[in-house]
Amino acid sequence: MSYSTRQIGAANTLDFKVFIEKDGKPVSPFHDIPLYANEEKTILNMIVEVPRWTNAKLEISKEQKLNPIIQDTKKGKLRFVRNCFPHHGYIHNYGAFPQTWEDPNQLHPETKAKGDNDPLDVCEIGEQVGYVGQVKQVKVLGVMALLDEGETDWKVIVIDVNDPLASKLHDVEDVETHLPGLLRATNEWFRIYKIPDGKPENQFAFSGECKNKKYAEEVIGECAEAWEKLIKGSVDPKGIELSNTTLSLASTVDASDIPAASPLPAAPIDKSVDKWFYISGAH
Amino acid sequence: MPNRAVSRLLLTSNHLNAQRSGSSQSGFHSVSEGSKYSSTFKKYLVKDGNVKSYFHDLPLELDVEKGTANMVVEIPRWSNAKFEISTKVPGNPIMQDVKKGQVRFIKNLFPFHGYCHNYGAFPQTWEDITNDNGELQIFGDNDPLDVIEIGSKVHEVGDIVKVKIIGSLALIDDGELDWKVLAINTQDPLSKNVNDIPDIKKHYPGLLDSTREWIRNYKIPDGKPPNQFAFDGQYKDRAFTLKLIEENHHAWNNLIHEKIEKSDKLPIITNTAHKTSPGYIEQFQITPALPEPPASLPPDLSNWYYAK
Repeated sequence: MSYSTRQIGAANTLDFKVFIEKDGKPVSPFHDIPLYANEEKTILNMIVEVPRWTNAKLEISKEQKLNPIIQDTKKGKLRFVRNCFPHHGYIHNYGAFPQTWEDPNQLHPETKAKGDNDPLDVCEIGEQVGYVGQVKQVKVLGVMALLDEGETDWKVIVIDVNDPLASKLHDVEDVETHLPGLLRATNEWFRIYKIPDGKPENQFAFSGECKNKKYAEEVIGECAEAWEKLIKGSVDPKGIELSNTTLSLASTVDASDIPAASPLPAAPIDKSVDKWFYISGAH
Repeated sequence: MPNRAVSRLLLTSNHLNAQRSGSSQSGFHSVSEGSKYSSTFKKYLVKDGNVKSYFHDLPLELDVEKGTANMVVEIPRWSNAKFEISTKVPGNPIMQDVKKGQVRFIKNLFPFHGYCHNYGAFPQTWEDITNDNGELQIFGDNDPLDVIEIGSKVHEVGDIVKVKIIGSLALIDDGELDWKVLAINTQDPLSKNVNDIPDIKKHYPGLLDSTREWIRNYKIPDGKPPNQFAFDGQYKDRAFTLKLIEENHHAWNNLIHEKIEKSDKLPIITNTAHKTSPGYIEQFQITPALPEPPASLPPDLSNWYYAK
């Protein structure tokens, strides 16, 4: 099993798309890639959308055939996250778990908020900087419950199984021991990252605490179940593109019309993206 | 003359005369030779096709009224390669520091990515190794005065930036005094609001503490102890800092006029701007070679180190 990427166009443009391929054939990172990478369900697949220290808000498209990774837009303009001092871009390899869905039809019993209609978000904390469309094998360490503009938006904390620290990290308390300050910085980052765009500070459920591995596994299990219902058509799909190439369902499609790779060098990023924002009371 | 030699000469001439943006000092630009991130890399200051010294020829232009001066950018924000004005190589090009035969990169100290500000030095200043700084009883570190530029723009190696001086922090590095002057690009939209340390607290919440923490701890990942500060790590204000720059400019003037006790340690004073200096020459006989593709960066530059 080997995953690769098929790039269309230049990064930092509206044309940019990254399809995921398995053995050279396009697959959907939302629906085709299995969530679990081993029988025991201790290793999971994660798709990297935004590599650490970068700003382009790239995400798995919910609308396009086979859900390529594209850059989010606001009012027709490419979206970049702001640098909130002292953080440069995203501070983790940020991405999503395949075959998961935060169901907007469901109110979570503890956070009292609905799902955000996206695949489950993942923060990978290993030392390597990933790349857009990378499929990483990770182990789960904990989860934080961000309440982003009133919706539950879980952030699962994981580490690449090949990271030198992976064998020492088993649960959320090991993160604080070996990466002191990381959880606090993660909390701060998600609270303030939209403030430069004029939005209010985000809130976390559970007083911002990072819940442990067991709790995280339950959340992942719920989101996997929600995705099962989604792909089987037993809930309102809320506009999500369900096409896939491997599931042998009504939604399974032929991928021959997916364009061939046509990568171009990255376009320059506007200098304004370098700007640093200082948020009062953030620390 | 063989054709190859002619074309080489033309290339070199274009190379020396190439204009580039980013320098506030009209007439000055910079020219690279060798391969970036290797010990062959040199970035020379050039004017009218001639190499000039970043250390001695580029004017400081300290304006005490406006509180401004020229800064040379050595290390752009969010990068790791430790570039600095060489004090020992003729022409004082910017080169990457070498430790134990290896070019030096600073590690990423969580939550920072590389240097958290544009970092550089004031030309025509020198932290005097023969001056024990009175009450401090600590000698200068023998380098130009360091500057931390906090503006939003990410500069390039060798850029000359007109900055407004805000304050300073007295680092003690391996037993030597190594002032860090806090300054802001005068072209930065926020610079008009920032004149002194209290303005930083207001407009840049978190900056003073984070910057001090970064300077204190950035060598820990290399197995060194935390750095120490004089004055209990308190920031000195603008007025103090302007005087500090004047003193270091004066020390530099003594240096190039050989008014400092001779020693092998002293920087070279070869220059083309000060006829009264024993180091004065008409022109540097330096023709920078052409640049080569950059060397690859060490893979561990993606690592984050956590200070416990």
